[in-house]
Amino acid sequence: MNTSKISYKKPLLETPFHERTSEHCYANDWYRWAGYKVAKEYSSTELEYTSMRNTAGVIDITPMHKYDIKGEDAKKFINKLITKDITNIQSNQVVYGIWCNEDGMVIDDGTIFCFNENHFRIFCAERNLNWFSDTATGFKASVEDISPSIAALAFQGPLSCKILNLLKVENIENLKPFHFNNYNIENHNVTISRTGFSGDLGYEIWCDPSQAIGVWDSLFKFNRDYKVLAAGMNALEMVRIEAGFIQPNVDFMSAEQALRPNRMRNPYELGLGWLVNLNKEYFTGKQALIRHKEKGPEKKLVGLDIEGDKPAVGSVLYDNSKKNQAKEIGIVTAAMWSPVLKSNIAIGFVSKEHYKLGSNVYAEIYHPEELDYRKIWAECKVVKKQFFNNPRRNETPAFT
Amino acid sequence: MKKFDVIIIGGGHNGLVASSYLSKKGKKVLVIEKNENVGGLAEYAESINCISPIIKKELGINVNNINHSNNIISLEDNQNHTILSDKNGKLSFVQTNADENDQKKFLSIINNYKFFSKTLGAFMFQKPPRVKSGKRADLFQLISMGWKIRKLGKKNMRELLRVIGLNIADDLEDNLNSNNLMGLLSHEAVLGTNLGPRSPGSILTLLYKQAINDNIFNLNKIEVAEYINQLEDCCNKNTVEIIKSSEVKKILTQNNSVTGVQLTNGEVFESKYVMSNADPKTTYLNLLGAEILDTDFIRRTKNFRNKGNVAKLELELENEININNIDKKMNGKFIYAPGIKYIEHAFNANKYNKYSENPCLEFYVNQKTLSANVYYVPYLINTNHQENEIIERCVSVLSKFIPDMKIVKQKLITPNKMEEKFNIAGGHWHHGDLEIDQLLMMRPFYGSAQYSTPINGLYLCGAGTHPGGGLTGINGLNAAKKVIEDLK
Repeated sequence: MNTSKISYKKPLLETPFHERTSEHCYANDWYRWAGYKVAKEYSSTELEYTSMRNTAGVIDITPMHKYDIKGEDAKKFINKLITKDITNIQSNQVVYGIWCNEDGMVIDDGTIFCFNENHFRIFCAERNLNWFSDTATGFKASVEDISPSIAALAFQGPLSCKILNLLKVENIENLKPFHFNNYNIENHNVTISRTGFSGDLGYEIWCDPSQAIGVWDSLFKFNRDYKVLAAGMNALEMVRIEAGFIQPNVDFMSAEQALRPNRMRNPYELGLGWLVNLNKEYFTGKQALIRHKEKGPEKKLVGLDIEGDKPAVGSVLYDNSKKNQAKEIGIVTAAMWSPVLKSNIAIGFVSKEHYKLGSNVYAEIYHPEELDYRKIWAECKVVKKQFFNNPRRNETPAFT
Repeated sequence: MKKFDVIIIGGGHNGLVASSYLSKKGKKVLVIEKNENVGGLAEYAESINCISPIIKKELGINVNNINHSNNIISLEDNQNHTILSDKNGKLSFVQTNADENDQKKFLSIINNYKFFSKTLGAFMFQKPPRVKSGKRADLFQLISMGWKIRKLGKKNMRELLRVIGLNIADDLEDNLNSNNLMGLLSHEAVLGTNLGPRSPGSILTLLYKQAINDNIFNLNKIEVAEYINQLEDCCNKNTVEIIKSSEVKKILTQNNSVTGVQLTNGEVFESKYVMSNADPKTTYLNLLGAEILDTDFIRRTKNFRNKGNVAKLELELENEININNIDKKMNGKFIYAPGIKYIEHAFNANKYNKYSENPCLEFYVNQKTLSANVYYVPYLINTNHQENEIIERCVSVLSKFIPDMKIVKQKLITPNKMEEKFNIAGGHWHHGDLEIDQLLMMRPFYGSAQYSTPINGLYLCGAGTHPGGGLTGINGLNAAKKVIEDLK
């Protein structure tokens, strides 16, 4: 990375796609992500969202942190780091995993790419070099931050495979979910993985920064028939809530960053218990997680189906339909009106007595209306976080 | 494959104390020592601190103090040395350049420190309490600690709380004028620690040493070899098996519990209880292996400050040693640390992993031989000490006071050599700095205090645990008691 680029006048770095993203970004509305600027909104969040749900959307995810793990103990290292058991992982496979601290509290989540037994790559949203390096103590494995050397795009939507097909990306329809391979998009060498956060068919495309512009342009080549749009962070937030993916420091505090110990969350509280394999011989946090599992979570992150159409952003949750008798039992971490589901959805923490699927809780929604708030006491049903999960997502060969 | 109740890694004096105690309680104990002789670092202990009366009582050890050197001689470039004499803990000036006011104040400062360290002393020989354990015993101990401090009275408690985090230079400069006297006391505060006179917490180390040794100048002297022999006898009497010249390669575990140890020659001994007399870093990172410890714990292990910076210099001269301006019959501890500035300058080099150009010395003379503690000679990573250069620097200091030095034999033991010989990571006397965040219930660090470890059946009993280094033997005894408690 060219450090001379960083100055007080130009505090944020530009991604290799900046030439194009800045062209598309009429709103000139930028979001700060890991020292880079990425578009919050290009022209209209709703349109960008719609492209991801109906055709395909392109999101610049270059600021993702990328770490290369190399060495003969690379696999052992991953197995100590994450709570899942990856002993049987194959080359070209991707796993989704979380890592916890010694108290069994979640630090971050990420996708882990297996090139071979001795080479893995971890993609995650937060900085983790320090944690990974300390975890590597005692292993013959090196940890390297390779973030600036890879440009990345998320290409998400029902027509994503179709468009890649039209671009003559050979055999792309047979790439299985949570797998990756090397491909060629109009003479640009890329790595494509069938991963993403839209809950629908989608890919992530990784390439050398020098190829970035070429790859970007290719994806928009068939726009006469298929309206592919560049999508910003706001649209991304919408699809990830619908898909029920949680985000560190939004839905829960990363254990490495939380200042107050009672703000840290264990996997069972986040509904990620299925990612924890307590039969594995050793990983960081195992002893604590055994205790957490025995005890059961005090509160849990659940999906909420809310009556009405006013999003319950930042709402407090209560246990009673009568406001004056109600007791506080939780909080909403992310909420939206879902255009595709035509329902008012949210993700939030709900305490022990109420997190069972089907229970009713109540949200107090402060809905702003022309410089005044309308307070709505809305009934919510506890449901699965995955509001949107299209079968297309897991079908092979993929929908074309 | 042999089975034991408890296996102890390392036959240092704490290992021997622990094994004696355990075997007295009827346990089948094995001690594995890397070197040909047991005793470990005690070999280098010149002035030995008093052995705790508890050990004497519990194990029936009887070693007398020889106390033949009850003078402290602080050398000065202009040959106007200060001589202090210590008669059963009572200090008086035999000769000094400092004015009367300074002398009085000097003695009153020492008395003050002694008074405060008595408060600390009450905690020294106990197992430190576990905070938040929810057990009544721990809570009671915490309250009694607080009460001891409160009992000092308002004025004294304030003074203790004022000085406890202070650097020694500030306190001395407020009260004294004589550079020599300030250097003398600063020397005692920083020797064997990774601190300079201006480092915060350097008063605490002095109070702590006083609390352990019951003497600010460490003048009590016992025959170390005799002490170690008695400990070994005590072990033999109680049928402790001691294997010498054998090194442990790995502590074996299964499902977070100890199963035994493996030697470098491949031999395996089984036991559900293993005590490590090695320092925390060696125990966790080398013997146990970082792979099976939580990352946060590894972080704390790596951050444990254990850089040694004292070298041992042994010289033999052609002629009997006479010190300028000092009576031949005068025996005692010689100190060359002629002022705060001098020590602080010596410390500056240490910060950057270089040895001091003008080192500080503490030495004892016995006819033709001289043995000295030299600081700062920091532990070096990846590079070697230029030993001849260090010796030259020491000799150039010594030659100011010893005319016509003709060296017949010379030997320098650097922290790196101590590390190699005794497997002490960092070559630190105390296995780790005695600073406020590495003391009491925080020693060596969170998650490993009170002699226990995150691995079931593994215990620490070396100087890295409370109350730290010195030859008290308390570490070994407390750890053994903890094992007995858990065996029940």
